[in-house]
Parts: sequence; structure tokens; C-alpha cells
Amino acid sequence: MASEILPVIFLSLIVSFTSTFIASVIGISAAVPFSIKNFKLKKYILRINEVLMSMPPVLMGLIVYVVLSKEGSLGNYNLLFTPFAMIIAQTLLVMPIVFTLTVSSLSKVSVEIMKNCKVLGAGRFEIFISIINECRMQILSIITTGFGRAISEVGAVMMVGGNIKGHTRVMTTFIAFETGKGNFREAFIIGGILLFISLIVNTLIHCFKGEAE
Amino acid sequence: MSVRICNIQKTYNSKRVLDIENYHFKENYIYVIRGKNGEGKSTLLNIIAGIEKPDYGEVLYDFKTDCLRYDISMMLQKPYLFNTTVYENIIMGLKYRKINKNEIDKRLKRYCSYFKMGELMNKNAKKLSGGESQRVALLRSAILESKLMLLDEPTSSMDYENTLMAEKLILDMKNKGSTIIMVTHDMSQAKRIGDKIILLEDGRINYD
Repeated sequence: MASEILPVIFLSLIVSFTSTFIASVIGISAAVPFSIKNFKLKKYILRINEVLMSMPPVLMGLIVYVVLSKEGSLGNYNLLFTPFAMIIAQTLLVMPIVFTLTVSSLSKVSVEIMKNCKVLGAGRFEIFISIINECRMQILSIITTGFGRAISEVGAVMMVGGNIKGHTRVMTTFIAFETGKGNFREAFIIGGILLFISLIVNTLIHCFKGEAE
Repeated sequence: MSVRICNIQKTYNSKRVLDIENYHFKENYIYVIRGKNGEGKSTLLNIIAGIEKPDYGEVLYDFKTDCLRYDISMMLQKPYLFNTTVYENIIMGLKYRKINKNEIDKRLKRYCSYFKMGELMNKNAKKLSGGESQRVALLRSAILESKLMLLDEPTSSMDYENTLMAEKLILDMKNKGSTIIMVTHDMSQAKRIGDKIILLEDGRINYD
């Protein structure tokens, strides 16, 4: 049992952490300057991201599947039914969440910080770092939300990963698969572990927040 | 540093808040800008500082269209203090300028002597009162010893004693060669320290 479950847990963590990390780096890097600048298309870009935030994972799975399949534009890379495909799908699901929440969370305060940094002589990179540093608690909460989305996601990873035992099977697809077979005991064990991981991540974040405050 | 305003116009929500044809802020003077709320005082300072752009016109610094960002420092009307110690807040601009530790210590000693900052230095800046925050923001700006210092109501929340110390600090900055442009609603303060008093009305300079 343990030999079957451990790789599933390990792969789940790798895929979720990696996709959350990539989505956070891209999402936050784009959101900080976006929250400061005012331009014509800003409202529309934000609206599109809000729509993408609530995009059904199976639809994202379908899009990534088509792009990575043999006939797709990235078909030559043979990424379909690999953990890479799962990371791509999850990254695309998490990125709009991180981006939109960061923009709405920083929109007021980032302009204030930017002005104060600028009059003290800060350059663009220093302003960027100051905003992230000042808003680290909000950003940390947003990253946790993104991680929650990634680790609990089942539709997209099932489609692009294929739920192949020992290769692309993660905790959520394991639960879905075992439930389908009627093996509720295994499904509940993995479900409990999933919940426990979320508890650990949240506790760590709260400890960090408490320390910082 | 001298500052020349050339045909500056700024409009917010179809209301013209600034419309200055030409004005020259001479080097090493203290200019005090007065005016009612919403007459464009802060907007003028923000444009000079480069944190806002005018709709039309330009600002010349020593007769050039741009200047080094280290040449100007500003204390905003509602200064944002960073979520760290008072000490870190005061030296933040010096860190941006890559000033060495010895020089930082020297300047700290010199400028913190104006206000009783001793017990405040290790306190989190977010936990300060309004007057204390203004003292930190003023010191943070003054310690940079920039050629042009812009102050937007720097003493509005300070008590009388600290206001006098702030005025002494501003006068000393002028004596060191800085040009100072400040906004205040306090006429007696304007008379005490201003070399020139400007009245902004409907976005225009009406009295000099």
C-alpha cells in the first residue's frame, strides 16, 4: 500500500509546488507593474483574467490536451501524459488566480509605495522589490490560494496526465480512480493525507505571518 | 537647483487643477505655496518631483528637461512609512543611493538631533502617531541632502515644539544649498521661513 501511495503523494507535491511556483513568479511579476500603471486596455485585461480565474479545469485540460497532442502546435515535444503536461495545465489554471488577486489586493497601496520609493530615489527594480516586501502577507495568502487550487485540481491533470500508475497518478486522480473501483478505504486515506498537507501548508504560512508581524 | 515651470496644464475629471504659464523657482530659496484645498498645490509638487505627468508643458531643472533622480527628494502629504523600523525608514533613500555605512551614521547623528528620535529608532514605523510619522518622513527626506527638496505640508500633524525644530531643519537645508519648495496652510509658518510666498488660486499663481 505504502509503496503505491508514496510516489502518488510525491508527484502531487512536485506538480503542485512547481506549477504554483511558476504561476506565482509570472503572475506576481506581471501584476505589480500592472497595478501601478494606467492604460486603456487595463480594464479589459483584468476582465479576461477574472473569467480565466473561474475557468472549468476540464476545459483547460482540453485546451492543453489539444496543444500537446500529436496534431497540436507543441506535439513534437511528446509532453502529453507526462508530469510536464500536468504542470503546464496547473500553471495555466493558477496564474490568472495569482494575477487577478494580486492586482486587486495591491492596486491602491502599490501606487502609494511607488510614489514614496520614487521620491527617495528608488529605481524600477527597487520599487518592485519594495512593493512585494510591503505586501508580502497578502501575496503569501494569494500564493496559498493558488496552491490550494493546484493540489485539489483533478479534471485537467486527469486529461493531460492520463492517470498512469507510477507515472502521472496524483492524489486527486488516485481518489477519483479508487472511488470508481469502489475502494473507498484507499480513497479516504489519500483524501486524509491531502487534507493533512493543506493543514501543514496553512500552518506554516500562519507561523510565518505571525513571525513577520 | 533652479526649477522652471513652462506652460504646465493638468486636468482631472474635466476640471483644470493646474494652469501655470511660466514660473521660475530660483536656486537656494525657500518657496512656500499656499492656497485652498484642491487648488493644485500637491499636483504642482508631484509634477516637479516627476511622480505625475502634466497634460501639457514641461519642467526644467537647471534649464535641462531631466535631472538625476537623486537630485530631488520629496515628502508627500500622506507619507507612506514602510513596515520596518524607524531607523530603516530614515536610511532607505541613502541605501538606494548606495551611501556607505560611515556616511549613513554621520548623517543620522546630524539629522536625528533635530527631533527626539532616540527611543523611536527601533520602533516599527507603522505604530507611530501622525506627528511622529511626519518627523520620520521629514528626516527621511532631509537626510538625502538633495539639491531640490519638496515638502507637502510637512508639519501639519506636528506639535508646536516639533514644528519649530522642523522649520530649523528646513532653514539649515537651505543654508547647505538646497532649494526648497513647500506647501503649507500655516501663514505664520510661511512668513517665518519663506523667502517667497506663492498663492495658488484656480490652478494659477496669482500672487508672488
